[in-house]
Amino acid sequence: MSTPSPELMQRRKFLKLVTTLPALAAAAALVSPLLRFLKPNVEKFKIYAPTVQDAARGEVIAVATLKEVANPWDYKYFVFTQKYPQYTPEGFKAANVPGVVIKLPYKIALFDPATGQGPLRWARDIGKTPKVTESDLIIFSRICPHLGCIYNFVPNFKEVTAGYGGYLPPPPRQHALMACPCHLSIYDPADPQVPGRVLSGPAPRPPRTFLYEIQGENIIATDVEPGGIA
Amino acid sequence: MWERVRDWLAQRRQKLDLFDETLVARQDNPLYLMGPMLYYFWLVTVVTGVILMLWYEPTTTGAYTSIERIQNDIGRLALTFLGRPVTLGGLTRGLHKYGADALITITFLRIYRMYFLAEYKKPGELSWMLAFLGLILGMVSGITGYLLIWNQRAFWAAKVVLTVPVYFDELPLIGPLKFGSMIAFLFLGGPAVGQATITRFYALHFGISLVLLILVEVFFQRTRRKRINMSLFPLALFMVMLVVISIILPAESGRRADPTKTPLPILSDWYFLALYQYVKYTPPLWAGLGPGLLIGFGLIVPFLDRSKGRRPLERPFFTVVGALAVIYFLAFTALILFNIAVIERDPFLIMNITLVVLALGLFWELQYRRRRRQAAAAGISPPARAPAHG
Repeated sequence: MSTPSPELMQRRKFLKLVTTLPALAAAAALVSPLLRFLKPNVEKFKIYAPTVQDAARGEVIAVATLKEVANPWDYKYFVFTQKYPQYTPEGFKAANVPGVVIKLPYKIALFDPATGQGPLRWARDIGKTPKVTESDLIIFSRICPHLGCIYNFVPNFKEVTAGYGGYLPPPPRQHALMACPCHLSIYDPADPQVPGRVLSGPAPRPPRTFLYEIQGENIIATDVEPGGIA
Repeated sequence: MWERVRDWLAQRRQKLDLFDETLVARQDNPLYLMGPMLYYFWLVTVVTGVILMLWYEPTTTGAYTSIERIQNDIGRLALTFLGRPVTLGGLTRGLHKYGADALITITFLRIYRMYFLAEYKKPGELSWMLAFLGLILGMVSGITGYLLIWNQRAFWAAKVVLTVPVYFDELPLIGPLKFGSMIAFLFLGGPAVGQATITRFYALHFGISLVLLILVEVFFQRTRRKRINMSLFPLALFMVMLVVISIILPAESGRRADPTKTPLPILSDWYFLALYQYVKYTPPLWAGLGPGLLIGFGLIVPFLDRSKGRRPLERPFFTVVGALAVIYFLAFTALILFNIAVIERDPFLIMNITLVVLALGLFWELQYRRRRRQAAAAGISPPARAPAHG
């Protein structure tokens, strides 16, 4: 058998290319159905924005009465329920978002209606307007904004120093703090500019907050800032 | 180009050695028996795992209870140890847990052996990359299996590990497409840890071993190698050791998962502890990127290390990098066990120590190469290279 001439090789390469392209196209066409098999709430061919449908819906809940958090540094834990899409035959899951209501010793600005700034500015992203714009009550989601553990409200800062990696707050911040057991992020709930400011640890941002309103004696939590994993 | 890649692959595949079968001359050295041991412990883990599947219930409500029943009630024997009844279920679970621990330990030691003896050099590149991928899949198997107990430790480990990819959404260019969140949601089965997470983890936990076992069987069939190239006595001894430790130290279950309370301190499986400590020190994006880069480095190290020698002292820089990895693994594990982490001080210190040590390693490497060049110029021939394995 003689060796094939260069032109013949060219032709073979061309034919290979011609058969490869449809095979690759067929494989690419499988990406969207495969994604939708694993994640049934993705719309057809929407592989560029696959998480749009995963928004959670919360249930309005009375978290505390004004009497329960009457004095500075009073706090109360509560559990807010949110319904998440879940890829099971039931289709959704009710997950608990633990939260904490804290009475601060002074009033802080939560939202400035004129400029739209303040800790509660995220409310506009979900189409709401905060009812309370300035208050000494603040409600945090206790899901750590770092990697999703549940952090604690620690009434005595010395416990933070002893149990959460040895961080000693500077004198003006030597009051109740919030600290996470997993990776030792420490937050100051009473920072006037940025409530929940990160004092120490790997957290990239302050904890998420709740929108709330006061109806008579009750503090009602209506929405929690979206994001993170519950 | 394509032909060159194919030739390269064909050469490496001929010398592929997943379980150290070709190192038979070193049967007296336990370092070289880790290949067969790997396969042996893997089989123990798979077989006991299948037995456990008969009794395990993969639901959020039933998982923990079913594990407790397996541990304490299933197949009670007529003997007790320290007042605790010995059960066949508990023994099976112990063999599964400690067999898996042994598997991970062996894989780690084998990776270190391959690294420090430069077994990843030609023609061992493919063997090294597969061994390294095996370690990663073993760790994935570990974390997926761990969640199935549905105890506190497992729940928070799963949540933390799967929140890490969410931060990939912050990356430039690919971040806004939300692929980081998508990866997390795919594994979790939604934006929260729940029933879908257990189902998916259960499937992955079994699937990884099943698929790998089939692939390895194809490898054995094609290459006609022995599966366990080891005498019977040590194998029997290992089994006895596993049984004894399963009775003396029964596998723990901890407390049932409680999504509203994270205990302090919270730990994970032993081989993730160092990573946990690292996560405390870095911004969360780097909690994902750091291990990713480490895996990337591990996979391409055969192509980075262009040094001639195979002995550790003949390639000082890569030896220093490897030693640093071992020391950090041990030191971080110790730090987290003692719950020490001063986040203002430590990362700065660690970063500086790392940079200084790496610079010294580089300096050593350059010195070593210069001395060799001088020796070559003076006409002294270097000692003969050790022959390649395989």
